[in-house]
Amino acid sequence: MIRFDQVSFSYPHGETTIKDLSFHIYKGDFVALIGANGAGKSTISRLCNGLLRPASGHIYLDGEDTCEVPTSRLARKVGFLFQNPDRQICENTVRDEIAFSMKVQGWPADKIKERVAEALETFSLKGEWFPFSRSRGERQRIALAGVLACEPKLLILDEPTTGLDYMECIHIMDYLTGLNRDKGITVLMVSHDMELVQDYAKRVLVLGSGTLLGDGPVNEIMKDEELLHRARVLPAQIPSLALRFGDRFADVYTIEEMYAAVKQG
Amino acid sequence: MNLLNYVPGDSFLHRLNPITKLAAAFLYGIACILCGNIGMEAAFIVLMIVISASAGLAGRALRLTRNLVILGLFMFVLQLFFVRTGAPLVVVKGFVLITTGGLRSALLLSLRVVATMLPLMILFAITPMNDLCNALVKRAHLPYRYAFIITTAFRFVPLFSTEFHEIQDAQRARGVDFETKNLIRKVQLVAPLCVPLLVSSLEKVNSSAISAQMRGFELRNRTSGYKEYPFHAGDAVVFATLAGMIAVSAVLL
Repeated sequence: MIRFDQVSFSYPHGETTIKDLSFHIYKGDFVALIGANGAGKSTISRLCNGLLRPASGHIYLDGEDTCEVPTSRLARKVGFLFQNPDRQICENTVRDEIAFSMKVQGWPADKIKERVAEALETFSLKGEWFPFSRSRGERQRIALAGVLACEPKLLILDEPTTGLDYMECIHIMDYLTGLNRDKGITVLMVSHDMELVQDYAKRVLVLGSGTLLGDGPVNEIMKDEELLHRARVLPAQIPSLALRFGDRFADVYTIEEMYAAVKQG
Repeated sequence: MNLLNYVPGDSFLHRLNPITKLAAAFLYGIACILCGNIGMEAAFIVLMIVISASAGLAGRALRLTRNLVILGLFMFVLQLFFVRTGAPLVVVKGFVLITTGGLRSALLLSLRVVATMLPLMILFAITPMNDLCNALVKRAHLPYRYAFIITTAFRFVPLFSTEFHEIQDAQRARGVDFETKNLIRKVQLVAPLCVPLLVSSLEKVNSSAISAQMRGFELRNRTSGYKEYPFHAGDAVVFATLAGMIAVSAVLL
């Protein structure tokens, strides 16, 4: 789906952010990009959709070098959900907002109408709402509905659940997991929330100072405390507890048993 | 990179009193406005780039000049075709398209725009807005409320600029092609960005107001700040030099 080949990048007047980075994300992957602040997570996500261009190396999206394609054309394949939905939302009604991306990408009017109706129903939104007066969770859902209506092949989520309550978070992530499973949409998620990564990602890329420190299945990565420590990332609570209790964790079902296990350990 | 952010430094310009810097930027602009000589307007621009270079800001001054020249070009075209004084210079099928007066006025005004605005832009790079606010209260005896309004307006310019670029990036990621050569299409594409920019601006203003209230905004007065902003010999030299420049511009040029 997307391949980074010896990619380096630095911001003007700044240190090199990404150094000789190579990895491959396959079709249907659900990948989490983790690392401390400044590790280069957001930079990588912006390199994927052409908002940033590599200083050296190449990024191939479906075999096509992204350096040779304008961002507006990459947007037909890559959907990007920003951390702050207010930067994406620019129309006066939810209906127009969801249709916006499809309009600029030149979709036929009847298809736009059909996709908007589907998105409104899927995300429990009302077409006549004024987006800016809705709650943070609803605005995030509006932004996501707009991105997904275009049926992207690769979906990039930059801290998708920031500012959302638990139920909103579960609702959105379950929906995305369904899309990944049923429609084969490739997902690349940038997140600081290790519980979310543990629960939803299949594969994890661990970044530290612009280099790839680790790449593997989520269960393997979450067990590797030394790797997570090097990446300055706190492991998810449940795997970390399981590692501490060892075999005894298999017998823990209630809070009382948890207390007993902690006391014993 | 944002061209309006403060750049820390310890140059002569950085060390000047914030009020001197603000006044100097305006006085330099007055000298440029009074000047009626095209060559001297260009010299004012070069001089400001040299002065900026002394504070390690040559690169920024050149980039700002380039951006202001684009604005100047707009003025140039307007003046060139609408000022009808002087002798005919370009005549097409009997219609006088450009006159000598039009060309002179176009060159003078476009250079004047650049020369006048450049020092104000450089002011952002050499003055922390907090210092400017405090100095206006302490030394110019401006009520804190007004000083806060002025400096907040200045402070928000680079913030809005950054926010605008972020919004533009978000729209590019949705497939909006801002690279189009069609000017009308470009305006149509940029216009919707005003809505998210306005919303984020109002949110920022609201949170700034709450933050100011929480820190005792109403209680601030001239004695609240611990930092002093004395005038030094360098400030006097700057004022004298600029007074001289204004006199020369008004009388001789």
